[in-house]
Amino acid sequence: MNVAGADRNRQLVTVGIGAMLTLVMSAVLILGFRLATQMRASVTGLQTASMLQTYPDAISQQLNSLRDRLEARAYAGQALADLKVTVKRFDHELEQLGAGGYLQSAELDQALLLWHQYTPVVEPVVNFTGQAYVDSDDAGSAFSKEGRAHYADVKRAQLFATENARRLQQQLATVATTLQQTSSDGAARLRTLLLSGVLAALVLAGAAAYFQFTRARHERAAKEAQDQTRDILKTVREGFFLLDADYNIGSVWSEALTRMFSRQDFAGLGFEDLLKGLVPPTTLSTAMKYIKLLWGERAHENLMKSINPLGQLEITMDNGHGGKETRYLQFDFHRVMGPKGIKHVLCAVGDITSSVLLAKELQESQESANAQLDMMLGMMHVDPLQLNSFLDSTETGLQLINAILKEPARADSEFRKKLNGLFRELHSIKGEASALNLMSIAHRVHSLEDMVSELKKKAELSGNDFLPMVLKLDDLMAHLRGVREMASRLTALKDTAPAAAAVTAAATVAPARAAKQAAAHEQRSQQGRSGDDLSPTLHSMAERLAHDHRKRFKLTINGFAEVPGSYIATVKDCVIQMLRNSAVHGIEASDIRKAHTKDDVGAVRVDFRRSGDGYELVFEDDGAGISPDALKAAAVRKQIITEQEAAGMDTRAAMALIFRPGFSTQEEVSMDAGRGVGMDVVARSVYALGGKIGVSTNPGKFTRFKIVLPAAEAPSSTAVA
Amino acid sequence: MAAQQPASIGSPYLTEGTPTVHDYTGVINISGKREGFVYFTAPRAMLTVLLMKMQENDFSHETMRDLVGEVANTISGNARRDFGRDFVISVPSVLAGERPEIPQKPGARSFVIPINWRSHSAKLIVSLT
Repeated sequence: MNVAGADRNRQLVTVGIGAMLTLVMSAVLILGFRLATQMRASVTGLQTASMLQTYPDAISQQLNSLRDRLEARAYAGQALADLKVTVKRFDHELEQLGAGGYLQSAELDQALLLWHQYTPVVEPVVNFTGQAYVDSDDAGSAFSKEGRAHYADVKRAQLFATENARRLQQQLATVATTLQQTSSDGAARLRTLLLSGVLAALVLAGAAAYFQFTRARHERAAKEAQDQTRDILKTVREGFFLLDADYNIGSVWSEALTRMFSRQDFAGLGFEDLLKGLVPPTTLSTAMKYIKLLWGERAHENLMKSINPLGQLEITMDNGHGGKETRYLQFDFHRVMGPKGIKHVLCAVGDITSSVLLAKELQESQESANAQLDMMLGMMHVDPLQLNSFLDSTETGLQLINAILKEPARADSEFRKKLNGLFRELHSIKGEASALNLMSIAHRVHSLEDMVSELKKKAELSGNDFLPMVLKLDDLMAHLRGVREMASRLTALKDTAPAAAAVTAAATVAPARAAKQAAAHEQRSQQGRSGDDLSPTLHSMAERLAHDHRKRFKLTINGFAEVPGSYIATVKDCVIQMLRNSAVHGIEASDIRKAHTKDDVGAVRVDFRRSGDGYELVFEDDGAGISPDALKAAAVRKQIITEQEAAGMDTRAAMALIFRPGFSTQEEVSMDAGRGVGMDVVARSVYALGGKIGVSTNPGKFTRFKIVLPAAEAPSSTAVA
Repeated sequence: MAAQQPASIGSPYLTEGTPTVHDYTGVINISGKREGFVYFTAPRAMLTVLLMKMQENDFSHETMRDLVGEVANTISGNARRDFGRDFVISVPSVLAGERPEIPQKPGARSFVIPINWRSHSAKLIVSLT
């Protein structure tokens, strides 16, 4: 996060060093140039001054020479010309030296002053243009008038020069010395300047080198850190990324995301786009709301964690081989705080598929263990013989169901035809299972019944629709086998317990009595089933029904010892169905009963007795009775009959409706009623035995079913409903 | 399939013991999370019509075997695609004429899914423990 700041600092330092270097070099160059120019001027001045030193002597000598010539009356023209040139040049050079401005010194001013004193003395000499001599035969050459004057000028000038030449020369020498001093000072300054320039450049170069070195070191460290970060992101099993304020993924993310989401383009990808298509729209919108909340600083992080909707996200995606697979991902969010509040949201994604599946397996096995325990406890209350009989008939029932399924079917009507048969069989099994309180079986059958009901509603049936049912059927068969195994173990346990007790008793107290007991037990086992065995089952079922439907009634059973073995299954089935009908439809709730001046506890009576050659079963409850009109209305509603048919029906025909397949007045489907197959099953079973069934009722008072059965033939072990 | 008439799934059911098969049967062995077999079994008549629809003139025993093997292979491929993670799915083998000598646990049930096509019927049998 400080990388950008450090970069800016480094840039500033680089620019600073560069600017300093440029400034120092410019200063050195400018000053050096100025110094060099000054020095050149000084040197030129020095040369001039040195040359000028020779002039006063030369002038003095030339004046001497001119005087000598004049005195010898020799030719003086050349000497005068030389003097003229020397004076002119000196005057010029001296003026130049003064005007050059190289030097402002008192010596130069004095020399100039002195030279200005020379001028009036020398001027007449050099300006002489006349004839100095007059030639006469007698006297030879003699001065002319102007020659004499000229001579006098020369003498005066020569005298002045002799007196002042030395002083002038000295003054000029002093000037030269000063100039020399100036020039050597300039040279020293230039040296110093260059030296300090080089030094400054060296210092700056050193600073730059140091800076470069530290920068390289920093870069190396940064690169190393970057490499390490990359390695971490490459290896870590969790998916990591940062979300910005626009909910987009940052440029850095961990490699694991590629495996989890089967894509590569995470940088800049919106969080919504990441999940789109993988999760249902509702989950997606909840997740986006949650992310928005995360950016609000007021929400507490721990609280946010507890409401995370993406704690266990189920996603379906391509498995890379063209198929689909389900994975469970866990999203964890952490706020990354900056100086100005939330900077990013760090998102950690974990693939928790294996642990979720493991947890599921664990839960399933626990549930199955619990169910087994419940089953076992339930079975302990059931008589083993009764249980075996139930298991036998259930197995037969399930085989019948499988046989119904096995019948070839191609068209919708053929499939539909199966449904009614399946329904009847399932309902019958469920009734028995409920009666024995074997709820794990009853629930399984109930869910199969639900499937059949769903299929009935479908417009077009095909074999595909039956597949889930077959799976459930297989599960039910496996369950039934488990129950049978458990039952045999329980039987073994029960058989050994009394025998062991008998042995102990025989050894200690009363051997004869114990032997009798054991014999009685044995006899009872061999005797097979008797109708009496049914009573406890029916009573316990009645209790359960009363509890489930919040009704109060008392069941009285008479004459069941008379039920022949071959009729037991049928009698049981019939009584169970009728009992359920009474509990659901017949017996009223206590308050209603009281309002009708009835006893608040209802009465249900079942009598079995011999009648003529055969038997008679009368089932009666003192409930609400059956209203023929209500039956007709329900049948019309269920489209079993038309309204016209209903209008033409007398009471008798209306009452017969309750034996029609698919009929029920109960709107809500429960474990006990509402499927509309109960009385249908009863009637079918009775007819199958060659019997008859009738119903009589007095609305508000009672309902009575009377079943007449023919004399029983040779006893058979099971009866199929 | 080559025909215009689509195949449909018949009424599925359970069967105990070694399943009854038609003339030609392709077998896929499945192991891993669950173990067992998947059979595709079809009668000669159905395969003949199928070959005719495919403009095939060779109705030899070998061609029939190949065709059943091909169907089983397709099923195997789909299974590998959908369940490849948890199961090891074999290359199919073909049985012709004979009843499969497939070890079945006593009381083990198989799912039979009839496949109806035209007037013919083949079966897909799933036998997993």
